[in-house]
Amino acid sequence: MLSESTVSKILDHGRQQGADFTEVFVEDSVSSNLTLLDRKIDEINSTNSFGVGVRLLCGDDVYYGYSSDPDEANLLRLTANLGQSQREGQPGGLLPLQQQAVEDIHHIAINPETISKSERVELLRQLDELTRKHGEAILQVSAGMVEKHRVVLIANSEGLWVEDGRSYSRMRLSAVAEKGDGPQTGMESPGMLGGYEFFQNLDLEEMAESAATSALKMADAGYIDGGTMPVVLGNGFGGVIFHEACGHPLETEAIRKNASPFCNKVGEAVGQPILTAIDDGTIANKWGSCNVDDEGQPTQRTVLIENGILKNYLSDRIGARQVGVARSGSARRESYKFSPVSRMRNTFIAPGPNSMDEMIGSIEFGLYAKKMGGGSVNPGTGEFNFAVQEGYAIRNGKLAEPVRGATLIGKGHEVLPKISMIANDLELAAGMCGAASGWVPTTVGQPTLKIDSILVGGR
Amino acid sequence: MLDLQQTVDHVLLLAERSGLKEVDALIERDEALEVEIRDGKVEKVEQSTSLGLGVRVLRNGKTGLASTERLDVSAIERAFQSALENSDLQDPTEVVLPEATNGLADPESLGTYNSDLEKLTSKDLADLGLAIEASAKNADDRVSTIPYLGASRNSSEVLLVNSKGTRYHQHNNSVGAYCGALLQDGEARKTGMRFWNQRNWNPDAAQRTGEEAVRKGADLLKAQPIPSGKLPIVLDEYVAPRLLGMYFGAFSAESAQKGMSRLKGKLGEAIAIPELTLLDDPHRIGGNRSRLLDAEGVPPQPLPLIENGEFRNFLYHVESGRKGKHASTGHAGRNYTGGVSTRTHNLVWATSDSTLEQLCRIPEECLLVTQLEGAAGCNPISGDISIGVQGFLYRNGARVQPVDSITIAGNFFELLKNVRAAGNAYQPNLTHLFIPALLVEGFTISG
Repeated sequence: MLSESTVSKILDHGRQQGADFTEVFVEDSVSSNLTLLDRKIDEINSTNSFGVGVRLLCGDDVYYGYSSDPDEANLLRLTANLGQSQREGQPGGLLPLQQQAVEDIHHIAINPETISKSERVELLRQLDELTRKHGEAILQVSAGMVEKHRVVLIANSEGLWVEDGRSYSRMRLSAVAEKGDGPQTGMESPGMLGGYEFFQNLDLEEMAESAATSALKMADAGYIDGGTMPVVLGNGFGGVIFHEACGHPLETEAIRKNASPFCNKVGEAVGQPILTAIDDGTIANKWGSCNVDDEGQPTQRTVLIENGILKNYLSDRIGARQVGVARSGSARRESYKFSPVSRMRNTFIAPGPNSMDEMIGSIEFGLYAKKMGGGSVNPGTGEFNFAVQEGYAIRNGKLAEPVRGATLIGKGHEVLPKISMIANDLELAAGMCGAASGWVPTTVGQPTLKIDSILVGGR
Repeated sequence: MLDLQQTVDHVLLLAERSGLKEVDALIERDEALEVEIRDGKVEKVEQSTSLGLGVRVLRNGKTGLASTERLDVSAIERAFQSALENSDLQDPTEVVLPEATNGLADPESLGTYNSDLEKLTSKDLADLGLAIEASAKNADDRVSTIPYLGASRNSSEVLLVNSKGTRYHQHNNSVGAYCGALLQDGEARKTGMRFWNQRNWNPDAAQRTGEEAVRKGADLLKAQPIPSGKLPIVLDEYVAPRLLGMYFGAFSAESAQKGMSRLKGKLGEAIAIPELTLLDDPHRIGGNRSRLLDAEGVPPQPLPLIENGEFRNFLYHVESGRKGKHASTGHAGRNYTGGVSTRTHNLVWATSDSTLEQLCRIPEECLLVTQLEGAAGCNPISGDISIGVQGFLYRNGARVQPVDSITIAGNFFELLKNVRAAGNAYQPNLTHLFIPALLVEGFTISG
């Protein structure tokens, strides 16, 4: 990575520049990507990502620089350049570096390096075949494996020296079906913070069936008539709505800028008593977990909303200081190319007392959004939009025909109080979240739940 | 650490030692300086240099890829070895590297680089950011906070070499600023966002970003939904390229060969209004994707995708060209971490005479869309569009109300046949999508 001597010199250099806090983040990652498309291995790629990020804090002001050249003189020059940007200040403190052991709770059962690439290729071919066997209407299949082993070193002027290793494994499957009315896509993309055992333990048949069925159902579907209606959101990736519409506005990165509808709302009711939501970075081997965050702080389980009452925000060093809350171990960054900010980890709505049948039975006309696609939010206003990947009409208390082309839009803080029923079938799903500090692995999740009314876009 | 030239030369040396005749190497070097402003002071300064090398080997008809951000001899050799190993498992692609192009013009003639921008300091950028913030705050007393405000300069350098003698070096750079202001009036909250991105330093023009962002948010503060139904839509000159830009993958031969384009088998057919010609122009001066060679070393030429409404050309790179028995059209795109894919250069949709306001006067009633909410409901394969939007309702040529909390739904391929008029201007920022405002019919509104 980088020698202790070089790190110490950078930290001291930062201090001399007037920074009251200096941090060095070193990353050495190896990733591989295999993609099978059109029954052929379309791409096999290996990447070594390496670089050093230096952050100086002067009060709440941030000076960040990075370089992929580890040469000591280059890094000292980078630090000096950062120092020149800042206002004059008194040199901060500098404590001796102390190596801190990290307890790795994310056990790796099978080291990915012990498995041949040809075994991986075979697994992809198997998944392709399993997907195609669902019928000739399956026009195309794309299957991919992404693996990344990320080693990071975080050291700072408070004497912190912590190293952590994170192994990510993810499988992606996309099935395209066509029945004469345009191609439709079904997707699955589970992931884990763990080793090759993730791939070996995957139920490929179930994954293939889920993606193929979704594409085939949507190829049969007509367009939904849009309008405001009750919606039952399926479990698992349905949690992306809470993630985008409520999770981001609960990050101190939004709160500290007064750019969130949840500013100054801790202790207030933001949902019905049935609603409890948690962001937990400590779940063993979960895709969004970590041992320490990207500032070297131990991660934790953070209750965001409990029985409808807003309890906590997600915070990083700067956000915690500016908002006046404790650090929650939520500072994250895609790579050394980003300075860290508060981000979600594994975010989910806790199970409730209802059943899906109860929810469907309570609706005369509405939408069952079984699988959600992606979406986005404006944290300042809470306005969100999401695509429904697989949807069904609800008519007279029963599930009816499949519908395509649905989009859900609304404002997060307005939708939260409309969650009236929550089932006990909590599932978590892996995703990639993009924000100010890049793309980071996050888990979203929820049980099946009912929103009393929301605008559904359609034709 | 080796420099760019030494790095690519070392890759070619490794190829020679291995007896490989088909190897290429792509290096990217990016530099950036960015400041963020909040509450009258510089909140963050970021400066960066990043480098990456991508190696592609072609052996026994198979392709192998690897990349590294460490440019020392041992890391380069490891990447080369990984590419060789990866090629063993790849299904044959039969890719053959293109021969070197002789007599290539100087890439500087494309106008993608202005060396003056490299002189801009963090103070220059900070002064601009502070001026934008001041003008935004003064523009409207309903501005509650300005959470997103920054200015930056970025430059990138790409060097492509291959074992057939190609050696292509291009510089791009730009300077930009952005402002996102949050306005509050009672319970109503809106964010107005504006970007400025150019290749000439013009702080006076950039400073207007603040007022424009605030005006954009303020105009939408009292927005309400409108009833569901069919209504003509005007996509403004910012929204039209953003929305249509999600669907041009359909013109990729590779997508058609893999059954993922609805244009498969439609060459020569009328797919758009007769007035529409859509040109891919790799040589447009100052275009964001202007290049003399594509990412495989093939020289692209201006190419009509649609001519007078008829579908004229798919876009090919070397591999899709070989499959389709067609020469590469020079549309390979690639960054150092990835493989080759199909990429348009600068797409140009001709302007006409109408201003945006004139377009809004053509139908009795229409929705002017000035903001898209994300892109998740847009399916680039099926062409389906289902997306939240904000904008303004026009009746008899007059703006009657701001609109939000609605979605529009339609289809890209139907849109091409339902364009009724085009505007007279492109959005002013650097881009590769030169598409004016468009008046289109056939969309459904849900509100």
